Amino acid sequence: MSTHAAPDAGGASLWRDAWLRLRANRMAVAGFVLFGLITFLCLAGPSIFTQHAFDQTQLSEHFRGPDRNHWFGTDALGRDVFVRVLKGGQISLAVGFLATAVSVILGVAYGACSGYAGGRVDMVMMRAVDILYSLPFTIFVILLMVMFGRNFILLFVAIGAVEWLTMARIVRGQVLSLKHAEFVEAARALGFGAPRILAHHILPNLLGPVIIYATLTVPAVMLLEAVLSFLGLGVQPPMSSWGLLIQEGAEKMDIYPWLLLFPALFFSAALFSLNFIGDGLRDALDPRAAKD
Amino acid sequence: MNRAWCRAFTSAGLLLFAVSCHRPLTHVESGGRDQVLHLGNGTEPQGLDPHIVTGVPEHNILSALLEGLVTEDPRTLEVRPGVAESWTLSPDRRVYTFRLRRTARWSNGDALTAHDFAYSFRRILNPALGAQYAYMLHVLRGARAFNKGKAGAGWEGVGVEVLDDHTLRLTLENATPHFLELLNHYSFWPVHPGTLERFGAFAKRGTPWTRPGNFVGNGAFELREWRVNSRIEVAPNPHYWDASNVALKGICFYPIDSADTEERAYRAGFIHRTQTVPIHRIDDLRRRRPGEIRFETYLGTYFYRLNITKKPLDDARVRRALALAVDRAALVSNITRGGQQPAFHFCPPGTGGFTAPSGLKFDVVEARRLIAEYLSATGQARVPPIEILYNTSESHKVIAEAIQGMWRDQLGLDVKLLNQEWKVYLDSVTQTNYFTSRAGWIGDYNDPNTFLDMWLTGGGNNNTGWSSARYDELIRKAAATDDTAARLRCFHEAEEILAREVPVVPLYFYVNVTLRHPTVQGWHPNVLDHHPYQHVRLQAP
Repeated sequence: MSTHAAPDAGGASLWRDAWLRLRANRMAVAGFVLFGLITFLCLAGPSIFTQHAFDQTQLSEHFRGPDRNHWFGTDALGRDVFVRVLKGGQISLAVGFLATAVSVILGVAYGACSGYAGGRVDMVMMRAVDILYSLPFTIFVILLMVMFGRNFILLFVAIGAVEWLTMARIVRGQVLSLKHAEFVEAARALGFGAPRILAHHILPNLLGPVIIYATLTVPAVMLLEAVLSFLGLGVQPPMSSWGLLIQEGAEKMDIYPWLLLFPALFFSAALFSLNFIGDGLRDALDPRAAKD
Repeated sequence: MNRAWCRAFTSAGLLLFAVSCHRPLTHVESGGRDQVLHLGNGTEPQGLDPHIVTGVPEHNILSALLEGLVTEDPRTLEVRPGVAESWTLSPDRRVYTFRLRRTARWSNGDALTAHDFAYSFRRILNPALGAQYAYMLHVLRGARAFNKGKAGAGWEGVGVEVLDDHTLRLTLENATPHFLELLNHYSFWPVHPGTLERFGAFAKRGTPWTRPGNFVGNGAFELREWRVNSRIEVAPNPHYWDASNVALKGICFYPIDSADTEERAYRAGFIHRTQTVPIHRIDDLRRRRPGEIRFETYLGTYFYRLNITKKPLDDARVRRALALAVDRAALVSNITRGGQQPAFHFCPPGTGGFTAPSGLKFDVVEARRLIAEYLSATGQARVPPIEILYNTSESHKVIAEAIQGMWRDQLGLDVKLLNQEWKVYLDSVTQTNYFTSRAGWIGDYNDPNTFLDMWLTGGGNNNTGWSSARYDELIRKAAATDDTAARLRCFHEAEEILAREVPVVPLYFYVNVTLRHPTVQGWHPNVLDHHPYQHVRLQAP
């Protein structure tokens, strides 16, 4: 009997530990499965499950309730709601994730630098954030649109550029408290440079709050996108997104409930699963949890 | 103990019951007592300067604040004496002499004289003001030349003469059968010279003379309060010549952009009448409020302007193809659902006794042929993308999406949608900064001229860049004759030109779909949707 496998001793890596803990968390696993399912449906659904196109209007079929042909019913123009929910999901998920990614990358980098540098640099960097905070969001987006024209990519940038501010503050606060911890002092005593200390010692300890905040950012971003689209600054019809579908459905919910029900179901299922995933990741990645 | 609890609960319950009974009355419920009419008014008005504004919401407010030489019958729209108590017409039907009432006053008590009317006409025609509606006054002799700033064309040449304080003589370019109806349009309404001079507003737009406290009018009501995006309130004008016959104690106009919000406001008893009804609710309201949803004929056309200064709309073939590829029957029967008529010409059927030839039809084959012809003639592989501009509203959006779908599916065009808020949208349209824009035109008086003189070269509401010498000639010829048959022949040919050149794509003829509470009395349906408020009163529900 050959023994290739190393004995499961104390040498397990952070990531392996995290993976094991995550797997044991039933809610998180359920969240992953559900979210995977929704993502798969949104990406592949429009071509697999239905022969309708999201922008194919059939005026005589308007406001039909759900039936065998139109699983989720049809809207005012006789468009299939099922395929529109899936197509809208693509947009919402893309906006949610890309804008969140923009905000996480910017916010973590900025906050970590600011917090670690400290002193005058920190002061200047944080005042810059304060100033950006005070800009009214809609006016900022309108300015961007006027300068660069209406453009879908700009939507991610605009939302991300606003959402990173809070992230930067949270990260800076964490870094401020971490940079005097013993393990950081030890790393410094060993002669490591600032980039290595930040990347290897401080960032892993930031994951908890960052992930929690990121999972909160995703739904906020999706809602922002709906607001912008309603103002004519975001997604333009016939394209749609969950936020827009819900907003339209809400106006008609007392007469045509399916227009609200299905996009809202998808939207809330996606948000629920994201929250569970966030919870699970935080528990799994918290390095302090391993010591108990 | 037990009994005490019982008593406590009972009295608490009674108290709750009493409180719930003392719910404040809704506007509709208290209407009979308060006589304050609450109206949904679509959108925040562009302004309240009668010489600047162009929209229907503005008309609804201004008609309470100002009154012209004549007014109209609330039912039949026949001309009735207004500030002028009588008038005479010369045998050649070109010279009108108006006798102004000696009791006519401004809301600050000043006497209203013929000089004030002359001042007002001079103001709107003044080239420096750049009033869009100035062309309404071009029926007056010499007014066009003065308005266009032609050399040597001074105010003295315009056919407006003040004979004495209470006598005004208007001389027309040509005999114009609908002239008296024109007088009831806000471009002919008077403004108070003293107030305008105080704010330097004679040749300047946007001065604060229209603010509450500054505004001086001569209508049945005076401006009491204007809260932007919230409400405009008017109160009876004690100096109005017919003040004793005004029943209402006030009118509140609410700018409610969203038809859904407006409909909710109506259901909550907050307003007596909506400006419109969300189209997805029409079927439901027909069932649930059959006595309150009203479908009234309305002299108006819903259409798309095409900006002929932009490619590919500079080519008449593309424009005509766009007009032919729209399935209007499907549009009105499935989307608008208020019994609207599909529009295959511009002027609503029966306007002033005129029904235009149907120069357009739904013909996809012909539309495709025109597009193919355009592509091969210009050597392009694809038609350049176009964009539909509409003002933010659920109904306009649904229609725009439907049209977008038709143009894409039938003609393979790349069509984008763009929505803008009302004032931004108006700016884009007046600056001809769009490809195709949603528009509606409501007749200002019951004559084909109100629809067809829009498309004159450089007309204030043309905004498409389109011009045709023959068209201009026909409209002028129609204005120059009072032989009805000859006029109608001119309009007939003008409509044919519109159908050939297609500067606009008519979609459907309006039906005014509104909710109106039965307690509103003296409010009569008519094709212009004009409701002189001095005849309106509220009943207890």
